[in-house]
Amino acid sequence: MNSFKIFFSLLVILVLQGFVSQVVEAQESSELVQYRNFFGIDARLVVWIVSELHLMFAAFVLGVPMFAVTVEIIGVKSGDIRFDNLAREFTKLLSAAFATTAALGGLLSFCLYGMYPGFMRYMTDVFHPIMFVYALLFFAEAFCLYGYYYSWDILKEKGKWFHIFLGIMLNVFGTTLMFLANSWATFMMSPDGIDLETGAVTSLRAAFDNFLWMPVNLHRLIANVAFGGFVVGAYAAVKFMGSKSDDDKAHYDWMGYIGNFIGLAALIPLPFAGYYLGREIYSSSPVMGNIMMGGAFSWTFIIQAILIGMLFIGGNYYLWNGMDRIEGAERYRKYIPFINIIIFFCFAVWLTPHNLPLSGEERALIGEQYHPFSKFFGVMAAKNAVVNLLILSTFFSFLIYRRANKGEIVKFSQHGNSARIALIITAGLTILYLVWYAMGLRGVELEANIKQYISPLILCIAIQIVAIVVTILMTFANKGKAAQILLLFVTVLIAVVYLAYYGFVVMEKANMVLRFLSVTQVSVVISCLIVNAVIDVFLFKNAKEVGKIRWGKIPLRSQYALLLLCVAIVTLMGLMGFIRSGLRMNWHIYGYMQDTSPGAFTPSISYMGLATALVVVLFLALVSFVFWLAGLGEKKKSSSNA
Amino acid sequence: MGSFGKAIIFSLLILGFFVYVCYYVTGLSGGSGGSGAKGVNPEAGEEIYWGEGQCSTCHSIGTSGSATRGPNQEGLAARAEERAKERGLTSGLEYLIESIVNPGEYVVDGFDNIMPKVYDAPILLDREQIMAVISYLQTLGGEADIVAINKLKDKIPEASKKKVEPWVPPIVVDASVGEQIFFDEKREVTCSKCHTVNGKGAKVGPDLTGIGAVQTPQYLIESILQPSQVIIKGFETMYLIGTDGMAYTGILQSQTDEETVLLVDEEGEMVEYVFYPEEIEQMQKQDVSIMPGNFSEMLTTYEFYGIVSYLLSLK
Repeated sequence: MNSFKIFFSLLVILVLQGFVSQVVEAQESSELVQYRNFFGIDARLVVWIVSELHLMFAAFVLGVPMFAVTVEIIGVKSGDIRFDNLAREFTKLLSAAFATTAALGGLLSFCLYGMYPGFMRYMTDVFHPIMFVYALLFFAEAFCLYGYYYSWDILKEKGKWFHIFLGIMLNVFGTTLMFLANSWATFMMSPDGIDLETGAVTSLRAAFDNFLWMPVNLHRLIANVAFGGFVVGAYAAVKFMGSKSDDDKAHYDWMGYIGNFIGLAALIPLPFAGYYLGREIYSSSPVMGNIMMGGAFSWTFIIQAILIGMLFIGGNYYLWNGMDRIEGAERYRKYIPFINIIIFFCFAVWLTPHNLPLSGEERALIGEQYHPFSKFFGVMAAKNAVVNLLILSTFFSFLIYRRANKGEIVKFSQHGNSARIALIITAGLTILYLVWYAMGLRGVELEANIKQYISPLILCIAIQIVAIVVTILMTFANKGKAAQILLLFVTVLIAVVYLAYYGFVVMEKANMVLRFLSVTQVSVVISCLIVNAVIDVFLFKNAKEVGKIRWGKIPLRSQYALLLLCVAIVTLMGLMGFIRSGLRMNWHIYGYMQDTSPGAFTPSISYMGLATALVVVLFLALVSFVFWLAGLGEKKKSSSNA
Repeated sequence: MGSFGKAIIFSLLILGFFVYVCYYVTGLSGGSGGSGAKGVNPEAGEEIYWGEGQCSTCHSIGTSGSATRGPNQEGLAARAEERAKERGLTSGLEYLIESIVNPGEYVVDGFDNIMPKVYDAPILLDREQIMAVISYLQTLGGEADIVAINKLKDKIPEASKKKVEPWVPPIVVDASVGEQIFFDEKREVTCSKCHTVNGKGAKVGPDLTGIGAVQTPQYLIESILQPSQVIIKGFETMYLIGTDGMAYTGILQSQTDEETVLLVDEEGEMVEYVFYPEEIEQMQKQDVSIMPGNFSEMLTTYEFYGIVSYLLSLK
């Protein structure tokens, strides 16, 4: 019996030892594995595709609730049931896409942990407390979304504002989730809160609130709204093209219009947010900034310009086609060819590279490396000017579209004190911002010989402030239309004409001032957009209609413009994802953890084009499938009603 | 066709246009067709040429790329046959192998012996990659012959096995500081007054875009401290005496039968002087670079290594 016990004890010890050694061996070998492939497919390509798909679905799921809730509030305020139905239709698409987003997020996590274990081990070490918060917030977002969607009928009569509150909370949780995940991506670009030699975490807060976190948050927030708007617009276009009844055509025409309106409205401030992000990338790492605008990625911005050009041209084209369904719009048709010329000119300047790829013979013919004429279009001074002109032209398109069927307007003084107060608050806040920025310019620490070039910028802001004050006073004096023209004229004169010229001056004499000049341009343009938009709301409030809007009577070609907008924004998001991620070059975490995997090299632009096109096809196919699934219940309902 | 089908076709057409633009831009910017090709074949070689191999930093091909450090490779295969005959080699292929494996053995007239050995750090191409590049070079004015390349593969070394330790400056420096100094026009001597990086700066001296990918830290340190050791072809200093007895030292910018243009350094500014043949008494090449040789006095140690780190980051 004793020998049996001894034998049994030895056996247990041996088995345990074997087990422990296996575990230790497994641990040791797992520590050695830094990279794996996915059944022979390049890990980088797999992660690239899955992360882009996740990001695109997430953009849709985060962007759509913002305007779904806004449309619902408009419905409650106006009492127009169409808005409520539209908000509900948006949410129906949302709820179907939400599960796919979550599934793709899970797949992305497994891909990263499986194929980049070493990198993910470190990221988990740094961010694991935030990862738990992320998971818990996901529950909150899911509960709010399903609560918002399924309680629509129950809360329709008595609890409408509670329903809207649920929608707002859905946005709050969703946006917070995105902000948390953004911190991981931006930490990889501009790591903070760690020792760059040892990797030891010195401050989780600094790692989270790293240098590029807020610029990326802002950029993605606005981009998501544009993305959601254009995807919804394309959904409406496909539905419109397949509609048999006039009612359906009218409904989906209107839905497409709203989608385009939201997309374009978000697209207008997007270049500003992009500029802010680009500037901060430069500030965070001049080397990375140089790679972005002057190195391996500079040519991708030519492709970006083409896609953004498509968006602006497509958006304007849709608006102009939309005027066909508005009686009275013919009064404004004469402006369209001019806007067209301006937009194409801006697009051409934006596209022109500074350094033309010339052959030796061509260079000899020209006599220098740069083209004597087009070289002026290739630099930032010209590009900033045309971007601002493009935005102002699109805004002008909006203004004429809004007033297409409007006739005699109600005098501003008849709108009462609330209108006056609203306008004073808008102008006051805008002026306050301009004063704050001008004060900042005065306080900039530069050498005296460079600082002298700042003064004209402050003068430009002062002139803009005076123009805003005059605009408001003219509006109060019932000269709102003239006031709008005056502000637009002054803005073009300052931001496009003078600052474009002055841009060349500072480029030659005080290059450092260029970054302040660009922000001045942006500030002047934004102030004009805000003040003129609010004036426009009151100017045409209760105005007489000279004709009706015949929803559904829009040319079929306009629907292809909506499709173009959708494909262009999805492709643009894919391209920008490549640029943002690729800027790290062969670093997982810039300056700390090097990427030593076989996929560390920067792929060529053509390879990027193919990979991005594949991602776009997959996204559009998946989203179409998900929308089709979401519509199945409706079909069943309508067939049973029949 | 249904509306959904039309929408799909339209969307695919837009995407097709996007892919076409990407390919077109790749051609303009000097990138490859990029299909991720592997093995010994011209497709893989082309990808390595424009990518990992860094060949395009110095060589353009026809109108693709804009580098001028090394010869333009258009029609190389035909030239390789002629050079092989001149040098007593058996074939153009052998010449191509020699040019890559031992680039200093034969240097094309008008160019300098600056090509690095691509199987050594920092490029570190392995044998198969070099064979792929050679097969691609064979297609430039000829046809790839993979069988022949395989027969001569023993002449091509494997990538250097020695572990490459990343260069570390002797003190902690920041490449971004180096970049600021490089472009700082307030300094007595500014690098960008003579050198270009990514299109920014003047073109008096060689373009330094992508220099970090092809040159070692030691080369860059030597070039800054002892600029006359290696002077890149086309940037030699010329000494010119005019018929009026005045002497000028500068870089020869252009020379034709009608005129000679010399870039002369005048208190830190490069001034262009044009001479007609009758105004030139004597002109001869100098062994001393126009680049100042006293950077060790003008830069602090921190600034000096910052500039070296910045140049090495230009890959």
